Amino acid sequence: MFSRNHRSRVTVARGSALEMEFKRGRFRLSLLCDPPEDTELQRKLDHEIRMREGACKLLAACSQREQALEATKSLLVCNSRILNYMGELQRRKEAQVLKKTGRRPSDSGPPTERSPCRGQICISDLRIPLMWKDTEYFKNKGDLHRWAVFLLLQIGEHIQDTEMILVDRTLTDISFQNNVLFAEAGPDFELRLELYGACVEEEGALAGAPKRLATKLSSSLGRSSGRRVRASLETAGGSGSSPILLPTPAVGGPRYHLLAHTTLTLAAVQDGFRTHDLTLATPEENPAWLPLYGSVCCRLVAQPLCMIQPTASGTLRVQVRAPEEWKGSGRRQRRARSPRDQGTIENQAGEPRDWVQVHGVLKGTNLFCYRQPEDTDAGDEPLFTIAINKETQVRAGELDQAAGWPFTLSISNRYGEEEVTHALQAESRGALQSWMEALWQLFFDMSQWKQCCDEIMKIETPAPRKPPQVLAKQGSLYHEMAIEPLDDIAAVTDILAQREGARLETPPPWLAVFTDQPALPGPCSPASVAPAPARIHSLPWGRPRTFSLDAVPPDHSPGASRLVAPLPLQRSPRSRGLCSKGPPHTWLQSPV
Amino acid sequence: MFLWPGQPFLLSVQQRVEIHKLRQGENLILGFSIGGGIDQDPSQNPFSEDKTDKGIYVTRVSEGGPAEIAGLQIGDKIMQVNGWDMTMVTHDQARKRLTKRSEEVVRLLVTRQSLDTTSMLCLPPILASAHCWVPNSEGQERIPGPA
Repeated sequence: MFSRNHRSRVTVARGSALEMEFKRGRFRLSLLCDPPEDTELQRKLDHEIRMREGACKLLAACSQREQALEATKSLLVCNSRILNYMGELQRRKEAQVLKKTGRRPSDSGPPTERSPCRGQICISDLRIPLMWKDTEYFKNKGDLHRWAVFLLLQIGEHIQDTEMILVDRTLTDISFQNNVLFAEAGPDFELRLELYGACVEEEGALAGAPKRLATKLSSSLGRSSGRRVRASLETAGGSGSSPILLPTPAVGGPRYHLLAHTTLTLAAVQDGFRTHDLTLATPEENPAWLPLYGSVCCRLVAQPLCMIQPTASGTLRVQVRAPEEWKGSGRRQRRARSPRDQGTIENQAGEPRDWVQVHGVLKGTNLFCYRQPEDTDAGDEPLFTIAINKETQVRAGELDQAAGWPFTLSISNRYGEEEVTHALQAESRGALQSWMEALWQLFFDMSQWKQCCDEIMKIETPAPRKPPQVLAKQGSLYHEMAIEPLDDIAAVTDILAQREGARLETPPPWLAVFTDQPALPGPCSPASVAPAPARIHSLPWGRPRTFSLDAVPPDHSPGASRLVAPLPLQRSPRSRGLCSKGPPHTWLQSPV
Repeated sequence: MFLWPGQPFLLSVQQRVEIHKLRQGENLILGFSIGGGIDQDPSQNPFSEDKTDKGIYVTRVSEGGPAEIAGLQIGDKIMQVNGWDMTMVTHDQARKRLTKRSEEVVRLLVTRQSLDTTSMLCLPPILASAHCWVPNSEGQERIPGPA
């Protein structure tokens, strides 16, 4: 069941402990009987184990880099989830055992402890700014260092991951498009956010065998020094690439390292963007180190269930006019008894009052009073709405006069200087009790969820995850053409034609580089590919090297707007050396 | 990523590079590309230390071309061409100064960032013996171009 394959080794150092833990967990589970919620957890655990096996097999089988990255990421997520579930199972078993032995952890606690309602937590628009140094450009001339990063988010036993993003020095931030939703979280939640990254070596570059590294070095460093380096490498025993010179390539699959983490709680919830500090976890020597600015911006919102679902509903009678005085809380009112009437009742001051029968629905911070119970479903507007928030005062009392409806409660709100009180009557003592209970629960929830109960925070349904992106290289066509000068130009053209397909009906754009003088009309015309190869073979050196910067291509000749289709900028048919009249926002490059 | 105690310094050194243009049909080619200019957006220059620097930089050197043979390197800032100043020119002016048909040889004065050699003393043996970071005007041993 557990693959000992080295390729499945992930940076989670608890590799072998995982298996031990698992065996222990399994062993224990067979002894005790599982309550229903544990079977659910067990089922999830089994599912994750199967996923893990699948990920291991995929990692062993895949050949392409992007597959390996995705598979390693899935493996890491599965491992985290498995450990999490097993820890949770352990805790539950322990709680069960404690209960069975009769030692309650909180004996003196009140039997009916009020617990706050659950809620949905959504974190979206995650953005982690980066801080590239100039040395990054000088160290890696021509090569674009890339990293694969993703986030792992955890609340309690739920772990979710974001998509994997490829980062290089042209990005100023790591932005994740997903929004991650956690259901069933309490107000005391702790959302742990972890950023994992792995260094991605360019294909054909120095990842892999030390021999290739040595060849590469010898060709780049000049003959004599390269020979020396190769000699010293060989004398070192050829024990793999020197970590001093280069980031250590992984043996097997890519290695993800924890780059940074932070924990967010209810205090961080806001219907807007906020910046939080990240705790950086890897030192600069680590190959996967990224120059993180040290903070993360996100929108963390919470929707407590009490805000979006009705917590109580029933028939009520509400006084239409606010009473002048109302003495509350259990005191029996001595009032003049008047004949029982559907409509009016008189109070001490003798003012007639109207009691209207409504269907009340307590939802969020409002008590909606509908004319009929059916109105709530029909979506009609309520007759009126009574606001219930942290400042609302609720008192219960009993009225003798309204025989049949003696159970009353009053809700007072203060609007500026004025205090507005609504009196409501419940059908029975039991109904009054349940209304009071619902209101107390609501007040408790509001005190626990704090700012989340001021207004309903909008949560967008997470869009279905896009399929993992193909490891697209940096925008311009130039990047796909890192070929040696010895390669056959015709082969290059074939490769391009295969890759670009229909897009390359014009001659390969790098041909235009050889003909950089506007006076040459022939090769610049996209008439056919045939004349081009003949021209190229006359050159003493191969095609020019690519530049890896996301640069605007040079404008070569008048009417050269047919240049590279993938590049976004359309060159206007003007002479080279664009003279910008306004503030310059281009950085042209011209061959000479 | 490097494990020695101090970070290597980046020094600016001036180099004189003499490029003999190559005739290709009717054209004379030098075999490199330039970027920059006072009419360009300097913040997009990946080679400059100072992002307000509007100078002319070498953005690409063709392999085996006249510029590479002469020892020009990517990232070099061109200060003068045959005595003409290149620090306060537009992009097009710079290009024209380099591609004068009447000149077969251009002598460039360039500024280059290179590693401080004194910090090499703390290096582990492999790199210290490489001696590869010191740019030589002969062009024999040089920092690799886009490898």
